[in-house]
Amino acid sequence: MILANLYNKVMGFFRQTEIEEVESAKDTACNRLRVVLMQDRTNLTPELMDRMRKELVELLSKYVEMDKDALDLNLEQDGDQVALMLSIPVIRAKDEEEIKEALAKEDEEEEPQDEEVVDEVDDEDSGDEEVSEEPDESEEDESEDEKEDKKD
Amino acid sequence: MSGRVIVITSGKGGVGKTTTNANIGTALAKTGKKVVMIDTDLGLRNLDLLLGLENRIVYTIVDVVEERCKLKQALVKDKKNPNLCLLAAAQTRDKTAVTEEQLKDICEKLQEDFDFILVDCPAGIEQGFQNAVAGASEAIVVTTPEMSAVRDADRIIGLLEAKEEIKSYKLLLNRVRPNLIKSNDMMSVDDVVEILSAELIGIIPEDTGIITSTNKGEPIVNDEKSLAGKAYNNVARRIIGEDVPFLDLEEPKGIVAKMKKFFSSLKGENK
Repeated sequence: MILANLYNKVMGFFRQTEIEEVESAKDTACNRLRVVLMQDRTNLTPELMDRMRKELVELLSKYVEMDKDALDLNLEQDGDQVALMLSIPVIRAKDEEEIKEALAKEDEEEEPQDEEVVDEVDDEDSGDEEVSEEPDESEEDESEDEKEDKKD
Repeated sequence: MSGRVIVITSGKGGVGKTTTNANIGTALAKTGKKVVMIDTDLGLRNLDLLLGLENRIVYTIVDVVEERCKLKQALVKDKKNPNLCLLAAAQTRDKTAVTEEQLKDICEKLQEDFDFILVDCPAGIEQGFQNAVAGASEAIVVTTPEMSAVRDADRIIGLLEAKEEIKSYKLLLNRVRPNLIKSNDMMSVDDVVEILSAELIGIIPEDTGIITSTNKGEPIVNDEKSLAGKAYNNVARRIIGEDVPFLDLEEPKGIVAKMKKFFSSLKGENK
């Protein structure tokens, strides 16, 4: 027993001098603590972070094709400031038509909602300016789209 | 005279608030400053024990507030140092027996006669904490290099930052174990300071002498040989404004020291 003990001790002694590749208890503590403090400080629970991640994927998918599972969203501390770090592995940039298609689809989905909002504004007060602005914007959008189509 | 009111707080219990209070108070008094310590941990008082004054307490802070005695009558003088006084907490009452306003009032009155008023804060972030902080303009946040203590310290720092009356707060890292830090098993001083991004006022090494000093009711700053005592004395000097470097807690380096440690650990195991 004593010999085995001694052997382990000696081996342990030499092993200590090697560089450890495994994450040390101290590093684990630091990392866990950083994450938990970010949550404490911002009131962002893991559930909310997950939701934010999903919404970001949805938003960004319109513009780029990316590795959705590898999208990394974390709160990090840089000195006194807390930063939201987003890392997105892009597989390829979407071409113009794909982007337009995605945007058009979204516009279609959103249009009915926009109208409702305008109606509400109308009911509440005169809201003339806002109403007049709406068609202008859509006209501009359309003209831009047309120009781009011609270029193509 | 307008003394400085410093609250010693931590959030988590058992990290050494009261020990820190007793030692910094005693160390400050040794430098010739007039110091009074207020124990605001109503119902769970312990500062009297650490100072060895438990048998001398006649009146408590609740007696002062409820006007059964004058403030000066309730101040218990230290056995050794006449510059040091204690205003004890009541053991039979709860945290509601004294209000924020009353504590503020007491602190203001004591500021006239003392250089330092050290307020020993109870654990937690409830009313007891709010009361203790009420009269203070400075704070010392005590923590240890453990996750739970650091997390609670972060919470306390957040609460202190929201208080207008608190002009500055400093971090005191207690129960530091250099050998565990060296083997990467414990967060280092730098790790904790970086995570909390707070200014450091002291690093106190883990010291078994604290247990015996508590048992005797004799703060460890009175023990010249103790490393923790030395560290606490240094904290007091920094509070006064001296520029004192932090103690080097590293163990002796080199192969000889390592061999010695190796053999001593062997001996210990085969006993």
